Amino acid sequence: MTNASTVLPEVSLGARRVLRPSRALSSIGRVTRTGVEGLGALARFTMRTFEAVRDIGTWGPLTTLHMRRLGVDSMPIGMFIALFTGIVLSLLASYSFTGAVPLYFVGTLVEKTITMELAPVLTGLALAGRVGANIAAELGTMRVTEQIDALETLGYDPHAYLVVPRVLSGVVMFPVVVGAAMVVGVASGWIASIGLLNLSSADFVKGVRLFFSGFDVRYGLVKSGSFGLMVTLIGSIRGLKASGGAEGVGRAATTAVVYSAVAILVLDAFWAVTWLLGSDR
Amino acid sequence: MKRSNDFLVGAIVLAVILTLTGATLWVKQTDIGERRSKVVARFRDVGNARVGNAVVIRGVRAGTIEAIELARGGWVHVRMNLDRSMQLPSSPVVLLNESSLFGEWQATITPRSALPHDETVQAQIGESTGGGDVLPGATLPDIARLTAVAGQIAGDVANVAGRVEVAFDERAARELRGSIRNFAELSTTLSHTVRTHAGDLDTLSRGLQSAVRSLNQTAASAAQIASRVDSSSSAGEIHQIVDDMSHAAAELRRTSAQVRAMSEQLSATQGRLDTFLTNGDSVLVKLNSGQGSLGLLLNDPSLYRNGDSLLTQLRGLVTEVRANPKKFVSVRIF
Repeated sequence: MTNASTVLPEVSLGARRVLRPSRALSSIGRVTRTGVEGLGALARFTMRTFEAVRDIGTWGPLTTLHMRRLGVDSMPIGMFIALFTGIVLSLLASYSFTGAVPLYFVGTLVEKTITMELAPVLTGLALAGRVGANIAAELGTMRVTEQIDALETLGYDPHAYLVVPRVLSGVVMFPVVVGAAMVVGVASGWIASIGLLNLSSADFVKGVRLFFSGFDVRYGLVKSGSFGLMVTLIGSIRGLKASGGAEGVGRAATTAVVYSAVAILVLDAFWAVTWLLGSDR
Repeated sequence: MKRSNDFLVGAIVLAVILTLTGATLWVKQTDIGERRSKVVARFRDVGNARVGNAVVIRGVRAGTIEAIELARGGWVHVRMNLDRSMQLPSSPVVLLNESSLFGEWQATITPRSALPHDETVQAQIGESTGGGDVLPGATLPDIARLTAVAGQIAGDVANVAGRVEVAFDERAARELRGSIRNFAELSTTLSHTVRTHAGDLDTLSRGLQSAVRSLNQTAASAAQIASRVDSSSSAGEIHQIVDDMSHAAAELRRTSAQVRAMSEQLSATQGRLDTFLTNGDSVLVKLNSGQGSLGLLLNDPSLYRNGDSLLTQLRGLVTEVRANPKKFVSVRIF
């Protein structure tokens, strides 16, 4: 014989609080609504940002500054990550290929993995931490110190002045950093293969050329551009919505990094499903 | 500060774009400035060949597949770019085949004379020949097809092995062992026999050789005779021989008629002889049966005995006459 307590999750019988089906459905609905609201807010924010693109006079002079901060200053960390990724990847490939697979496939694996996946994703995650947190903290601080209110009072559009240059910088400079990371990653894998493995330079190049396609580079660069868009948008939206002083700024920075990382992985899967799958290149 | 930002960002962006583009072109071995020669081959099916796969001449990488496109008549055209220094073999054909077990394909340009002895390949090449400047091409089966066939063969072998296992029990093994032993003994005997008769075979061989020599000599003689016949024919002697032969044939016909007449006379004589023998036979029968005087004379022993005693008496009489003639003869004159 079954009763309600064995069928429904019981929260606290002592306090006589029983989770009823209506309450469970309410929870699901609330979570769904929150998610959809978040997506709606992001969509509205994105729309406002695109509308603000028309105000070139406001964001134009600021863009190169942000490009330098977000892109050029992020080059060392991107290339550093790619350097070691290439080395580790070549060693890992040679370890996996022992005996069964010709060693020149190390070149194939390093090229494919670096250009299509690791350079965009690892660099994106690193820049999500660096750039996303930076934007969220900067804009959050401006929000809690009412600088943004002051800008609005002075007649500036906060989106044109604060968001557009950052988003454009992210969209343009993420692929640049990732492109450099691709070159450095493959080069480091090449050097590691020659120096640490019994693999000649010609064999590595043969492996790279074996299945190389221009699509590999295009795919990685477009993907990294979308990562840049999402990281800067999330950083901006979290920063502009910050409240509650320094604690609110810290929370905004943290959530910006977390959401950016999740968005990068979701976008990675999105591109794989929509573009990689079924593409004959 | 702002100008330095612009410069730095521009320089970095430009450097990354150039580096990435250069690296991509280098890896793709892009033919900048058309420094390579183009070759097009046509196939019914290109298997898993892809743009960028290697083109190989006599095992040496000579270029890459530049494009693969569908063409009219159900053909697939494969455009390849080759190093200008590379020379195509005479009567070239293109084979698409796997270069490794890992899905790697390549196009091999080879002379038609070096094609593998495979009916399918030959048929594909024959079908794709005649496309003008387009080289004929054939696609070799990939590893998946080969392994499928190998799997089928393995299944058949397993079936056969299973049947052998069923049929080949311990008794069969014993019998087989015995058969092998018998076969070994037979082999030993055979080798012994061969050793024994090796001399005979030599002799036979020598005889055969001499027979062949004789046959050669005979053939030479026949050839000489033939040549003589030739020469005789040319000198008119054959006509003479033919005339003589016809003359001889006429003589023979005459002789044959005489022989036929003689044969008829002989058969008449034989009839008379038969009659004579029949008569003689009846006389002899009568004699044997003691009929008639002669029969009685031949068959009556008393007559013989009387005759014999008469002769004895005659001999005594003669003796007495010789001894005393006067007793029996008296001569008186007057």
